This record gives sequence, C-alpha cells and structure tokens, in this order.
Amino acid sequence: MAITSDPAADANLGGSNMSEELIASHARQKRRERLFGFGRSLVPFVVLVAVWWGVYVIFDPAPTKLVNPTKVIDAFFEVVREGTLPAYISRSLGRLLWGTFWGVVVGIPLGFLLGLDKDIARAAEPALRFFNAISGIAWLPLMITWFGFTENTISSIIIYTMIFPLVFNTMIGVRTVPPVLRDATRSMGASWPRIIRDVYVPGSFPSVMTGLRLGIGFGWRALIAGEFVVGGGGLGFLIFDARTAGIIERVMLGMIILGALWLMIDRLILRPIEEYTAVKWGMVQQ
Amino acid sequence: MTAIAGPPIIHRSIWDRIKWFIIPVVPFLILLGVWLSVIAIYSPAIGVLPRPLKVLEVPFNEEEYWPNVRASVWRLILGFLFAAVTGVLAGLAAGLSKRIAEFVGPLVTAMNAISGIAWIPLAIAWFGIGTQMVVFIIWNAAFFLIFGNTMLGVRLVPTVLGDSLRTLGASRNQVLRQVVFPGALPYVMSGLRSGLGFGWRAVIAAELVGASSGLGQWIFIAQEFARADIIVAGALTIGLVGVLMDRLILAPLERRTIERWGLVGSSK
Repeated sequence: MAITSDPAADANLGGSNMSEELIASHARQKRRERLFGFGRSLVPFVVLVAVWWGVYVIFDPAPTKLVNPTKVIDAFFEVVREGTLPAYISRSLGRLLWGTFWGVVVGIPLGFLLGLDKDIARAAEPALRFFNAISGIAWLPLMITWFGFTENTISSIIIYTMIFPLVFNTMIGVRTVPPVLRDATRSMGASWPRIIRDVYVPGSFPSVMTGLRLGIGFGWRALIAGEFVVGGGGLGFLIFDARTAGIIERVMLGMIILGALWLMIDRLILRPIEEYTAVKWGMVQQ
Repeated sequence: MTAIAGPPIIHRSIWDRIKWFIIPVVPFLILLGVWLSVIAIYSPAIGVLPRPLKVLEVPFNEEEYWPNVRASVWRLILGFLFAAVTGVLAGLAAGLSKRIAEFVGPLVTAMNAISGIAWIPLAIAWFGIGTQMVVFIIWNAAFFLIFGNTMLGVRLVPTVLGDSLRTLGASRNQVLRQVVFPGALPYVMSGLRSGLGFGWRAVIAAELVGASSGLGQWIFIAQEFARADIIVAGALTIGLVGVLMDRLILAPLERRTIERWGLVGSSK
C-alpha cells in the first residue's frame, strides 16, 4: 500500500451507495435527491463549525489559539482585498505545475524503461524503494545548502516526491499490457517505436494517470512543507507566516483554502481525467 | 494489496540466485560512483557535499545521533499507537452504522484533503514547540487513514455472512467477534501500514519546523552550520528506519492477516 493514496477518500464514502439508489429513480426525483445529498454532506461541516463555536464561547481561549469562526470569514475578505490570496494561490499552483511538468518528463520515461525490461526493473527496484522511503521533505535541508532559499529548492523536492508514484505506476501499467498485443502487432510488421506508440502508450495510460494523480497529491504536500521552510509566498508561507505573527484566523483560513483547493484539483481535474482514461483505454488491460 | 506487483521471481539456479542478490546493489554503487567522482572533480566544501566515509562515521562520531533517532522514533510510536487505538475503535463504531458512516464520510474526505503537514502551524499555536505538537501531527496524519480504512473494511463485510450466523442463533456480539472484526482485519492492517508510513513522514516535517530535538530538527540545524555530512546521514537514517519498520513489522503482519483472513467481499 505504500504508493496508494488515502483509501478513505478513494472509497467515496456514502456517495457510491447513493448513486446506486439514484439509477433506479425518476429524473426529477434524481435532481431533488442530488440536491438533498449535497445538502446532507454539508451537515457534518455545520456541526463541526457549531462545535468550534461552542468551544470558543465556553472556553474563551486566547486569540492566538482559537478564534471566532466569523473572524476567519473576515480574514478571507481581508486577504482578498490585500491581493495576497490570489497572488499566493497562483504562486503555489505555478510551483505545483512546474514540478509536475518535470516529474512527468523524468518519471514517465523511466517508468516505461522499467516496465519494458524486467531485468532493469529488478535491478533498480530496491534502490527506488529505498529512496522512496526517504521523503522529499527529509532532503529539504540538503537542497537548502545546495540551492539556498530559492525556487529551485522547492521544485527539487516536489519533483523528487512526485517521481516515485509516477515511475511505479507507469511501470505497472506497461507491464500489465498483455504480451499478446505486442506480439500480434509485431508479427504484422510493426516497428518498436510503433509498438510503443500504439500498444504500450494507450495500454499503460490508465495506470500512468493514477500515478500522476498520486504524484501530484504527494507533490502538493511537499510543496506546502517547502513553502513553510523556504517561504517566498504561496499558501504554505501564508499559514506559516500568519502563525509566526500570531494571526490564528489566517492560519485556519489558509488551511481551509488548502483543503478546498486540493479537493477541487482532485475532484474536478485529476479524477475525471483518470476515470475518462480508464473508460477509454482501460479495456486493453482485460 | 500492494500497489507494486513485483515481477515473478523464478530461481533457476544457485548462480541465478547469487546474481540477483548482487545486481540490485549496482544502482547504489553507480550513485556512490557519481558521488565520489563529483568530489574528485569539483572538490566541494564539506558543507555542500561530504565524503561518503564522513557520512558513515556520523553515527559513531556524533554523540547527538542516537538521542535524536530515539526522540523521533519514540514520538512516532506514541503518535502512531494513539492513532491506531482511536482510529480502529472509531472506525469500527462508525462502520457498524450506515448513518454514522455517511455522516462522517465528507468530514474524513475534507480532513484528508487538508494534509497533515498543513496542520503544523496550528499545532504549534496550540501545543507550542516540542513532543506534544509532533505527536499531534503524527496522530493527525495517521488517524484519518486508519479510521477510513477500518470503516471501509467493516462496511465491506457482506451482511449475508452476519445474517446467516444470526439465523443459526448467534448473538450480535458473536457476529461482531467472528464475522465483522476478522472480515475487516485486512483493511485495518493496510490502514495501519500506510498510517505508519505517513506518520513517519509527518514526524520529519513536524520536527523540521516545530521541535528542539529529533532527526528532522537535527538535519535542519545542521544546514545552518553547513554540516552536509549530518544532513545526508540523517536523511539516509530516515529512509532506513522507514524501510525497516515497514519490511520487518508491518508488511509481514499485513501479509499474514490477508493470508489468514482473506479479503472478504473485496473485488481486489
């Protein structure tokens, strides 16, 4: 399970049962139920905020530990007005994109190599597993001594963190392409570049996409840690800096934005792409 | 259950076995070769790139090495045990009731989205710098994984199994003990295993910015004193501890549970 993401999120708890019930029902009822389902998934958060508010009212904690939920909303408008929020969000996303680009450029070809050649894979796997166990964050101090407090430091740990899930999943994807397909195309006279392009690339696509989603998820964590330590703007810097200044409402706001942003990236971009490729190309693996 | 399926290993002969014992060392040797030649060609300062031998000496020469390793591992054990107990108990309770499971589902998703690392500043504000804060971060990183997996495991046990035992006259307690718990066990184990992995990463991140001891803090301070030998030794130790914990304790445990109890009701 070392390379998989959080199974809890993958399980899509509650949602899957509900969608089964929906299939049978009428279209209008479907819409109503979907609205209702969405409303129902908001209830736990309402309860959470109520508990938060209750704790705040009853215990009256110091303003550097816990604040009134409404102050977090105020803080939101404050950082929007200051212009820091849009700037920091685009800074963080830009870093993530840059890291993802290089992660893909390095990780996918390496994964292909390991997937196509069993001996190279067997030789390289222990080393890959060992370095996978050293989290990118642990390299942060060394990267600082090499690159200083710069963008390169942040990029390097994002790329490092992303590469492993990408390599492993690409490797599996290539390996699970049935050799029959390769042999069939080959017997019809296809060249190796052609086989790679027309058999292995589409065949491994769903698994590569899974690796990409996991990689970006891990890279996101590395990015936050990098921004804590290196700074230079970004959402991680926002919450770390706010803590140092004792502005707890900004810390909490930053955390909520980090969570919401990740859910949006994951649910609106990465998962649909992964599911689409699984539907479009996934048949190859059966 | 593992995401990485190893290639089928066929041991043809003793020679083959010896060969495949040696070959995986080659990538490490290549890396060592690159490292040594960079030093030979550029002769960088020790603060930038230390000699490999210097790194190997760190555990013996630096008296702070072992106390820091112990501090980190001790925090991991504390936080992980705490997360394991609370996560499994809460996961079992939540998994037994469809309503509770549906209620907490979105919360678990949201908490997983706010990765454990993002909690570090708030945890520093709440607990100050030190073990308490690090343990909270480990708990946070591992709890939701263990909780989510346990809940999933319980929910995936086919109700038919429990129902058939009930018709044979078993009590609800017996069904829990003999069907639900063993059925969920493989999922619990895989939750524990990934929880420990995430927890170990979280320790290092939390110590980097929020502790006065531990491996994470030690290598971070070493950077200020330009002691790359300590940084590299620390990073390698972090990897080694992670691999050893997983390979020696959790992977065998998980394998055994799956062999003993199987994956009830799972499509995998």
